[in-house]
Amino acid sequence: MTATTATTTRVTGAVRATPRPAMLTYARLDLRRQLRDRIGMFFVVGLPTFMYLVFGIGSDDPVGSGNVGMYVMISMAAYGAVTATTSVAGSAATEQVMGWGRQLGLTPMRPLAFVAAKAGVAMSVAAVPVLAIFAIGAATGARGDWSDWVVSGAVVWLGSALFAVYGLAICLVFRGPNAAGIASGMIVVLAFLGNVFTPMSGFMLDLGRFTPLYGYVALARFPLTDGWLPTEGRDPLWLPVANVLAWTVIFGLVALWGVRRSRART
Amino acid sequence: MTPADVPAIRATGLRKAFRSTDGSAVVAVDDVDLTVQPGEIVAFLGPNGAGKTTTVDMLLGLTAPDAGTIEVYGTSPTDAVRQGLVSAVMQTGGLLNDFTVEETVRAIAALHGRSDRVEVVLDRARLTDLATRRVEACSGGEQQRLKFALALLPDPDLVVLDEPTTGMDVGARQEFWRAMREDAALGRTIVFATHYLAEADEFAERTVLMNHGRIVHDAATTDVRAAYGGRTLTFRPPAEVDGADGLDADWLARVRAALEPLGVTDVDVSAASLEAAFLALTADNEPIGAAR
Repeated sequence: MTATTATTTRVTGAVRATPRPAMLTYARLDLRRQLRDRIGMFFVVGLPTFMYLVFGIGSDDPVGSGNVGMYVMISMAAYGAVTATTSVAGSAATEQVMGWGRQLGLTPMRPLAFVAAKAGVAMSVAAVPVLAIFAIGAATGARGDWSDWVVSGAVVWLGSALFAVYGLAICLVFRGPNAAGIASGMIVVLAFLGNVFTPMSGFMLDLGRFTPLYGYVALARFPLTDGWLPTEGRDPLWLPVANVLAWTVIFGLVALWGVRRSRART
Repeated sequence: MTPADVPAIRATGLRKAFRSTDGSAVVAVDDVDLTVQPGEIVAFLGPNGAGKTTTVDMLLGLTAPDAGTIEVYGTSPTDAVRQGLVSAVMQTGGLLNDFTVEETVRAIAALHGRSDRVEVVLDRARLTDLATRRVEACSGGEQQRLKFALALLPDPDLVVLDEPTTGMDVGARQEFWRAMREDAALGRTIVFATHYLAEADEFAERTVLMNHGRIVHDAATTDVRAAYGGRTLTFRPPAEVDGADGLDADWLARVRAALEPLGVTDVDVSAASLEAAFLALTADNEPIGAAR
């Protein structure tokens, strides 16, 4: 056979050390690609900033340890951060549609590492609206204890990670070019249900407590409000925590299943 | 046993069925046995739907077989991919439009842990001049070369190409195979699926013909051509003997008798080119050329 007579130095089939994927390099390239998308970045930063300017500026009525401006600022920063993570995850779904998932399937990277890298990129993009809106809030009269600023900012930013997983999960389930639109559209609905835009009461509030944005935003406002709602009553701390944990598990499992499925050709 | 004794691919009894939209099962690959030795260049030839891509997917661990076993360099396809022993140029998609050529290579190189090979593979696939171009601005041939560059990143021992020249014009196709040939000379094992006969003919030492999920012929490419090809002499019969149900048998007998003194032993109505061999071997009904 040619294999034995060929004068080649190549030893084929030799056992090799399994290479270690350089996930940080991959994530950095992906992040740069994301930030280049100007239209996408307008919806992530521009729109929530505009909404804060309309609803938040000059609202100095007291809320908890601060004022209404602070309350609206946290809400809008959260909305911007969630839009960021969801849309980054939406682009991940488009990648799957384009067959990039199969390309990735031919590398040593494991599905969980892909989810982690995407979440990392989404978190970096999410930091942009949080920093921008908090800075504008600080300059335009949002008021609260220094600890409210630090803890709320951290919760808004870190908590948005949940919606990177959400976006990925939704887009891998509803495959196709419309998946990202479905995910973002549902965010608007979930934001209303989650008490992000307008204070709710009665049955809608009871229902809203089970939706994914409710726990996240309630947790972000907790330092300011100590759980007291604008309309009625008070949520104990365990309620938003339980909400966030439950939805983290749900979205995580669905996303993992979706990545596995996307690698098979159908 | 030294690594060189381990076949690059050993598959036995491979079978894979898909559920079609109306709920019935479609058998894409049916009882396929295949062994490929290191250093071989093998063409998978067959019409669309013959099961080539499904077979390739199972080689790469992207699809699990319903039955049978498959080993790549003595290990599972998934492990072989993970170790960088095997890589592939896929038929469908596989690139991000808003990356540049170089970013694409860097991204996949990072995942292989082989960022040191970026320059090498860009050069090998002749993409160095296009490095800063966005993928969406690249032609089909350039995108295919980019996928080839990605496949070379782990420095694999086995490269699997699934219809690599789809959508390329003649020039791009020649350019692509020139790059492949240079690479094969380095001792890589190459398995490619194609429906272009000329590619199998020019490039592969061995041709595996597939149809309806089965291997219908597996031999050296030269044997396939020798058995079914050779030179063909064609001439046009007069109109009066060419009826609706074929040529007039009496007239054909007279042609045969007339040609016998010239050393012609057989007269066949249809031409037996490699193209015809391909059709004959993959046709549903009786082989063409048997008609008299």
